[in-house]
Amino acid sequence: MVAMVDSPADVRPDGAEAPVLLAVQNVSLAFGGVKAISDISFDIREGEIRAIIGPNGAGKTSMLNVINGFYHPQEGTITFQGKVRRRMRPYEAARSGIARTFQNVALFRGMTTLDNIMSGRTLMMRKNFFWQALRLGPALNEEIEHRRRVEEIIDFLEIEHIRKTPVGKLPYGLQKRVELGRALAMEPRLLLLDEPMAGMNLEEKEDMSRFILDVNQQFGTTIALIEHDMGVVMDISDRVVVLDYGKKIGDGPPDVVRANQDVIDAYLGVPHE
Amino acid sequence: MFYREAGQYKTSYAADMAVFPIRQDRIGIAVILAVAFVGIPLFASDFLLTSIMIPFLIFALATIGLNILTGYCGQLSLGTGAFMGVGAYACYKLTSYFPDTNILVWIVASGFFSAAVGVVFGLPSLRIKGFYLAVATLAAQFFLEWAFIRIPWLYNANASGAIEVASRTGFGITLTGPAAGALPRYFAVLAIVVVMTWIASNLLRGRIGRSFMMIRDMDIAAELIGVRPLHTKLLAFAVSSFYCGVAGAMMVFFWLGAAEPSAFSINLSFQILFMVILGGLGSLIGCFMGAAFIWILPVVIRMVPEVLGLSVEAATVEHVNFVIVGALIIAILIVEPHGLARMWQILKQKLRVWPFPY
Repeated sequence: MVAMVDSPADVRPDGAEAPVLLAVQNVSLAFGGVKAISDISFDIREGEIRAIIGPNGAGKTSMLNVINGFYHPQEGTITFQGKVRRRMRPYEAARSGIARTFQNVALFRGMTTLDNIMSGRTLMMRKNFFWQALRLGPALNEEIEHRRRVEEIIDFLEIEHIRKTPVGKLPYGLQKRVELGRALAMEPRLLLLDEPMAGMNLEEKEDMSRFILDVNQQFGTTIALIEHDMGVVMDISDRVVVLDYGKKIGDGPPDVVRANQDVIDAYLGVPHE
Repeated sequence: MFYREAGQYKTSYAADMAVFPIRQDRIGIAVILAVAFVGIPLFASDFLLTSIMIPFLIFALATIGLNILTGYCGQLSLGTGAFMGVGAYACYKLTSYFPDTNILVWIVASGFFSAAVGVVFGLPSLRIKGFYLAVATLAAQFFLEWAFIRIPWLYNANASGAIEVASRTGFGITLTGPAAGALPRYFAVLAIVVVMTWIASNLLRGRIGRSFMMIRDMDIAAELIGVRPLHTKLLAFAVSSFYCGVAGAMMVFFWLGAAEPSAFSINLSFQILFMVILGGLGSLIGCFMGAAFIWILPVVIRMVPEVLGLSVEAATVEHVNFVIVGALIIAILIVEPHGLARMWQILKQKLRVWPFPY
């Protein structure tokens, strides 16, 4: 459905592997007696599209929540841009350049598309309360400057016509797109997408795939995505990590993962002993 | 026909982001300001100024204060009356210590005391939301009312237990006390309300207003974008209480002239909350509409029998008044739960496409 792009981002022109942007080491997360994630390690290299797949309840979303600090793992460390952390905090994650979209759209429903995407620029706006109150000179210039960047994103995502529409009134597919726009407005180093194509029809999926590839290539953003549509995953991702029951059962390029017997078992179902 | 923006092209982001991007709106606000600053002072009687315009503007300002907190930041509060009281008592103490300073300075300064108190009582908002937060802010209401009664220092140990406004000047004009004319007081209130409304609209359209709305609409996503919830909520409490505080100080100094602690009871909180809800949550123009509806309408109804020459007993008028206003509130909220501001928006949209339905 989507043409394979010949940019395996993890391989640089000189043949060396791209440096690791984010590394998850031996992370375990439990809610009471339920082990959501047990002893998982994987890495995300700069500039690649990394897919995280697995059956329902495999711990994929929990993994993303650990990466951007909603959940604090009991064991293991997270290394982002060379900085080792026991736990992230959402605020720190945002500061250091991790943006994210949600499985169930988490937009600010009372605000317009424009304001939603502008909200992604919050951390980059620095004018203090005093200037904000007057909205003259520096504060207004700052607002206009960020508006210009936001308009670029609106152009990029082709949502000019809904700029001033409250997002609560938009159809689902467009809401997903606005949410992507909001994440892009943060100019993230790492973009986490939680099922960006869930509930979409074929055409919307193709659009979304195109946007993801364009973001990756034009902005050089590293992307980690959770997705259930195997066609999409195999087409657009550079490497895939497979989770099942909170454990990692496969990791590698799409072709390797596709041939992995454990992965086939997990998806097609084999009695777990 | 008259309200159509066809042909008004915007060529810059600044023009697109203006408060009133449509020319007719700009003309409209200019007319309103001209009426407020020139028309009303020229023709209005003392009754209109003292009993209608001054309280209306003061309530509108308090409504803006609560709307910032509840309508924009999503934090329900029932402490408005108490925060207004803090402003009034702070202003009273300040002007007792420094009687020669311009009273307008102390009116504005008293907002900071109210803001500080608001921040303290906003602390529970990190942990509790919605109705539970409303109950927690009741603590502010009860504690502060108690303080106004029980701490004699606050009312300079007056025998009456009330604060009584002495004669104070600003810019050489007597603005408060029995000797102050209605007109200077009206201008003082109007100027403060206009400037503070302008500041509120600036704040709410920029980064700070967006972070308030982010917390209101989806606090989890807001956190992920880098908005710190506690920081933002407390800022909302501070700004909101500042507005309420200034409104409270004006209420005593420019309108009532004296106030007992019971003036800042929970009834006042509810009155302001009704103005917010009826005007429209999350709308500045709605604050004025809500305040006008709840304050001005009963006054107008009270005048009706007199104008028509009917001899109705005052008590009966008062009862009928309650019935009419109450029924109207219910009717409006059924027709449009988002309040008068949304009705106004719908009306403008209809005007835009008139005579076609869409």
